[in-house]
Amino acid sequence: MNMGVQESILPGVSLKKGSNIMIYGPTFAGKAMFTRTMFKKFVKAGYCGIYVLTRESAEQFIDWFGEEYDSNTVKIIDCVTKSMTGDAKDTEAIKRETVMNLTGISAKINKFLEEFWRKGNRNIILVFDSLSTLLMYLNLQTVFRFLHILTGRVKMTGAIAFYIVEEGMHDEKTIVTLKQLFNGMIEFKEENGKKFVRFVSPFTKTDWLEIHVDEGGVIIT
Amino acid sequence: MKVVTGIPVLDDLIDEIPNGKTLTYWINPEVEGDVFAMQTIYTNVEEGLKCAYTTITISPESILAEFEEFGWNVKDFENFEIVDLYSEYVGYPSKYKYSANPLKIDEVCGLLKNVLEEFDVIYIPISSIIDVCGDESISCIESIFKLVKEKGKVLITSFVSWPYPEKIKKIVGDLSNAIVKIGGIHHRVILGYYYGLVKVDWKNVKSKSILFKLVRPGGVRAYIPKILVTGPYNAGKSTFVHAVSNVALSVDRLGTTVALDHGHLEYKGFSIDLFGTPGQERFDPILRMLGKDALGVILVVDSTKPETFPRAKQMLESVTHFGLPYVVAANKQDLSNALSPEEIRKKMYLPEDVPIIPISASKGEGIFKVIDALLDILVGSWKEGENEFEIST
Ligand SMILES: Nc1nc2c(ncn2[C@@H]2O[C@H](COP(=O)(O)OP(=O)(O)OP(=O)(O)O)[C@@H](O)[C@H]2O)c(=O)[nH]1
Ligand SMILES: [Mg+2]
Repeated sequence: MNMGVQESILPGVSLKKGSNIMIYGPTFAGKAMFTRTMFKKFVKAGYCGIYVLTRESAEQFIDWFGEEYDSNTVKIIDCVTKSMTGDAKDTEAIKRETVMNLTGISAKINKFLEEFWRKGNRNIILVFDSLSTLLMYLNLQTVFRFLHILTGRVKMTGAIAFYIVEEGMHDEKTIVTLKQLFNGMIEFKEENGKKFVRFVSPFTKTDWLEIHVDEGGVIIT
Repeated sequence: MKVVTGIPVLDDLIDEIPNGKTLTYWINPEVEGDVFAMQTIYTNVEEGLKCAYTTITISPESILAEFEEFGWNVKDFENFEIVDLYSEYVGYPSKYKYSANPLKIDEVCGLLKNVLEEFDVIYIPISSIIDVCGDESISCIESIFKLVKEKGKVLITSFVSWPYPEKIKKIVGDLSNAIVKIGGIHHRVILGYYYGLVKVDWKNVKSKSILFKLVRPGGVRAYIPKILVTGPYNAGKSTFVHAVSNVALSVDRLGTTVALDHGHLEYKGFSIDLFGTPGQERFDPILRMLGKDALGVILVVDSTKPETFPRAKQMLESVTHFGLPYVVAANKQDLSNALSPEEIRKKMYLPEDVPIIPISASKGEGIFKVIDALLDILVGSWKEGENEFEIST
């Protein structure tokens, strides 16, 4: 067991176990691709991963992940398919939920955590893509209660979790409320056709770094 | 009409849910608890009662598919109806006779009251309604609770205990005539699930906690938790298992265990199976096999033999690999050269938060403190929750 791993997420920034991080920026700034690329990197480094999808199906995600996808180490909660067709089957590694069913999502995340844990895996990464979709269906208070429990569990388990939030879709109060739950934020911006990213926490703030995004992933320059 | 829960053990405890009463499944937000209400509804549908099942955050089709996965073909019964608060919420017209738009709470309230008139048993996911319609909807829920009593119907609700304001929890807690709590046993992650009756106002019953697994098809199945008793050769594992168990069996040859000690114990509402492992190294594979299924570990050490501690530590590591919580029983404290728990902690490099309980297995001293310490880790949250309600005894 490798307890010491603290994968770096940006040059000079590595996270403590138990961290909950918000991924924040405007649409098309490369947030989703950045997060996935990072997720894949963690998995390649020996982490087990849970990906909660609200904007594309498990099958699309696995397609993107490519040949390295291993259902033993990457588990998916697909909140798209069931809302649309209602009859897609669950598998050991793919569970489907409607996006409003927070209880179902919560229970399924915990099931996967248990499975990893019992197999002796202590390095776990979780991605929630995205909270903005949840907020389209449910009020802030409800989503906050859900996240309160989830971020607490991530902390207790010593996992690392990322939650994507769209800039410009929510009012100020929503963002301020959500921020209380997180240890830091990876922030994105777009300027003159160029994309940038930085890390912000109560203790540090990095410079903006330029990134290049394409279908395959993200490169930090 | 006789309404039952259909849940193992619960019906033996409460016999039935009398007319005019509400039973609430009070569910930990990290545990899959929907199935309890589904099982209750299906059981009563099969008995011929008119039952309605309300859904709001899950599509009716998904709910029906889920019923079917558990082997409950509710669809085929004419005395079963879905109350659909989902379709209009996501912008589709509903295909069901009973439907409303949850964003109009008055409409929902009116609909549920009509349904209550027409059916014998109805299910309402209270917390999901609060989640979607906002905290204000609690007043609608209150009025429904009252109507149930007036009309002599039976209401089944589920309340997922997200961090709602105390006021909401109190209203639901007070208005429910019976509460069945569904929770997780956790140690960093959730390792097991239990349910227990924490309130019932029509009968005197003893509280009881039951561990369960979900079986598809089948539903809620009670099961017995396994606790592993491990430790070096001659530490007193067999003696311990026999001392705490109501019944126990060992396979010993020449004074050492060559197969598992097995003990069964009824304690504080739990039914517990204890497995004592052989201490000799050649049996280590068994240890690993057992660890996969167990919920917790008791490590027995001979407090007079520090030379066996490295071996104890090694045995501990092979089971804690599975993420199981453990407590240490510092045995043979009746002997004058026994080390104290704190000396043992130092010599074994055990973290401060690991309970080390001084015992004498042969004299039966301190042995239940060991069980208590482990239960405390496993179901600590359960006991906290217990104080929320009065348990009528
Ligand atoms: N003085 C004293 N002796 C004890 C105590 N508990 C157990 N013993 C003795 O220690 C010896 C070993 O006890 P067992 O219970 O067989 O130990 P075990 O851990 O099951 O041993 P193996 O199965 O061979 O690994 C026996 O002679 C017991 O009588 C105790 O609390 N005090
Ligand atoms: Mg023995």
